[in-house]
Amino acid sequence: MNIGQIISGLGHAGFILFALFGGVFQSDPIPFEVTQVTAISNEEFEAIMAAERPPETVSSVAMPEAPEADAATPDMSSQTDADTTTTQPDPAEAADPDSAPQETQTTPPAEADVAEEPPELMSPSEDTAVLLPDTSQRPKPRPSKRVAPEQVAPPDPDTAIDDVAREEVVPDEEAETVQEEAEATAPEEAATEIVTEAEEAAAAPVSSVRPKARPASPPQQEVAEPAPATQPEPDAESAPSAVEDALAAALGQTSDTTSETRPIGQPMTRGEKDALRVAVQKCWNVGSLSTEALGTTVVVAVDMSEDGTPVTGSIRMIDASGGGTTAARQAYEAARRAIIRCGNSGFDLPVEKYDHWKTIEMTFNPENMRIK
Amino acid sequence: MMYRFMTIVLAVLALIQAPALRAQDGPLRIEITEGVIEPLPFAVPDFIAESSAANELARNLARVVAADLSGTGLFREIPADAFISPVTSFSSPVQFADWKAINAQALVTGAVNVDAGGKVTAKFRLWDVFAGQELGNGLQFSGTQDGWRRIAHKIADQVYSRITGETGYFDTRVAFVAESGPKGQRAKRLAIMDYDGANVKYLTDSSSLVLAPRFSPTGDRVLYTSYESGFPRVYMLDIASVSRRVLESQDGTMSFAPRFAPNGRTVVYSLIRGGNTDIYKMDIGTGQSTRLTSAPSIETAPSVSPDGSQIVFESDRSGSKQIYVMSADGGDARRISKGDGQYGTPVWSPRGDLVAFTKQSKRRFHIGVMRTDGSEERLLTASFLDEGPTWAPNGRVIMFTRETQGEQGQSRLYSVDITGRNLRQVSTPGGASDPSWSPLQ
Repeated sequence: MNIGQIISGLGHAGFILFALFGGVFQSDPIPFEVTQVTAISNEEFEAIMAAERPPETVSSVAMPEAPEADAATPDMSSQTDADTTTTQPDPAEAADPDSAPQETQTTPPAEADVAEEPPELMSPSEDTAVLLPDTSQRPKPRPSKRVAPEQVAPPDPDTAIDDVAREEVVPDEEAETVQEEAEATAPEEAATEIVTEAEEAAAAPVSSVRPKARPASPPQQEVAEPAPATQPEPDAESAPSAVEDALAAALGQTSDTTSETRPIGQPMTRGEKDALRVAVQKCWNVGSLSTEALGTTVVVAVDMSEDGTPVTGSIRMIDASGGGTTAARQAYEAARRAIIRCGNSGFDLPVEKYDHWKTIEMTFNPENMRIK
Repeated sequence: MMYRFMTIVLAVLALIQAPALRAQDGPLRIEITEGVIEPLPFAVPDFIAESSAANELARNLARVVAADLSGTGLFREIPADAFISPVTSFSSPVQFADWKAINAQALVTGAVNVDAGGKVTAKFRLWDVFAGQELGNGLQFSGTQDGWRRIAHKIADQVYSRITGETGYFDTRVAFVAESGPKGQRAKRLAIMDYDGANVKYLTDSSSLVLAPRFSPTGDRVLYTSYESGFPRVYMLDIASVSRRVLESQDGTMSFAPRFAPNGRTVVYSLIRGGNTDIYKMDIGTGQSTRLTSAPSIETAPSVSPDGSQIVFESDRSGSKQIYVMSADGGDARRISKGDGQYGTPVWSPRGDLVAFTKQSKRRFHIGVMRTDGSEERLLTASFLDEGPTWAPNGRVIMFTRETQGEQGQSRLYSVDITGRNLRQVSTPGGASDPSWSPLQ
């Protein structure tokens, strides 16, 4: 038994003891309501019960005697009522008629921002006018030649297409710092799914399109600020990152990625991995792949330079599943193009963690891209 | 509370296991599950003319190759005015940086020569620009000057195949019914053309009505229905000799909707006998026919699966036109169309995985595809009248007839990818209907 196992055993034993006797499994008492009660005597209780007791049933009930009629007939006289004429109010005392309302200058409300074109009304389908639709009407997706995880509006016609959106830079002679002239760029228009003509013309068929895959979660931002005094309950999404931070802290390192004092060897955070994944998937174009290649998952390994660029010659397929040799080769080549294209200017990777990403294995799984 | 506790516990464990964690230093692993679907940018500079007689061909070949690839919707051509470095020699090294700079992911370079005898020799190379290497080996084709378009189509097929992993469909032809004249007096004749509308040839005159041509699996014969005798009869036409013969000629019968089985020796078709329409199959060699259905309803539009074991057809036995599948020898049929509306003209995909069909629902016609068990129905088009789908030989594209509404309405051919993308009209000299896609030549 080596030292590591002994330490591990002691640690686990300590943890179990801590869990058993440290009050870990003692949950807080369940909140309960308190109601004030008053003790009463037997006599008081009997009195209350007697009051609430239902009447007893009596089998023989004596008929009441009919009252004897009075021999003397009562006098049936009556008098007319007093004059009930209502008095009309004196016209002179009547209130003055309301004076005409004073005309006040009212400020018309600001014109609402209304589009000149009337909103498009969806005419009900003939056969379904009196029927409830199977599904609610969804907004019609706009067809686009490009399908991407996130929808992109069509850029301005004068804007150059590029992966990164930049504003146009016009050199200003009076400016202190001279900026290089650059044209405006924007990502190409993209839809999140293929829209067929049939789907454009009518509501989408109920049984045709597969449910869309959950969009990729955005890269997680590193939080460098200290926690506030009243820290909110962490949600499920942020939990793994916090655990990673705890791991990093346990290893004697801080969670600040920008810190220059971070020792080499800190593991990659989920946010950093997500950023890399998003950067690669932007260039992973499966549009020209065969149906079989779209069913093939390939694992591609690549050696990285310290500046974040992939070593092109090192890209290799280390595994493929779901298709034949030809399909695997097409899938691999699409993956290789994605790595080279988007890694051309270097992936945004923390150089101090180079030991962790000097070799990367990327699994390209196109399952969600088969029909989109 | 629990969360904080777990964090502390993990931290403690990490302290204990820290040496082990450091020891497990392997490659960083990530999984990519979301990509993009967009046309792949490519460049095809004019081919190098290796003789003065090839100057015009050098440009035309490149244009046809580029048009073929762009027409699929899977590729996007980068215009020549964006090129940075010209290709001056077929054997000189490619300046990958210049092509990377304009985001050309694939590059096709080529050269063409026309010798004194008029023989055309064209060769090409396909480059993966970002990988900086050739995709496959260079290839050379030879042919006559008249057949230069086929050389271009064959080059495009190679490029398409090497990038997508699927066989191409550019060196193919389409048989169709060419239409002319007003709607009430429309003249129809059998015609054949390249898949892209070039080289149209007419196979029959317009003296009698012709319908529904269907290519043989070898592409050398065409079945079609003609009213030449006054009744619909199935004819088989040899394309090379333009000679034809009647397949079924029993008195008192009318035959139509023919289609070859994949073996090329058997034909399935519909026959009206005694007022009932059923599906038959015939051995072309012996002329012997076998009845496959016997229901009192109308059974028609048979199409045999690629493995020859099953037949998909339309029938109104349920009261409305629906799609059924039965054994190639007949027998019980199971209905596979399940949606609202009427279904017809089913065609089995060359891959065997899908059935294309025409659907009529809510006064609109659709071309759609479904699995062979009827699942995953997907409508690809919608219009006043879409009908008669035919598959490209690679099973990736469908061509069909679209007719516009009104007195001046005209039939045209359209194609669409099976994903529903890339809907486009096929160039024809006039009206056209009933397309049938040939196999790859």
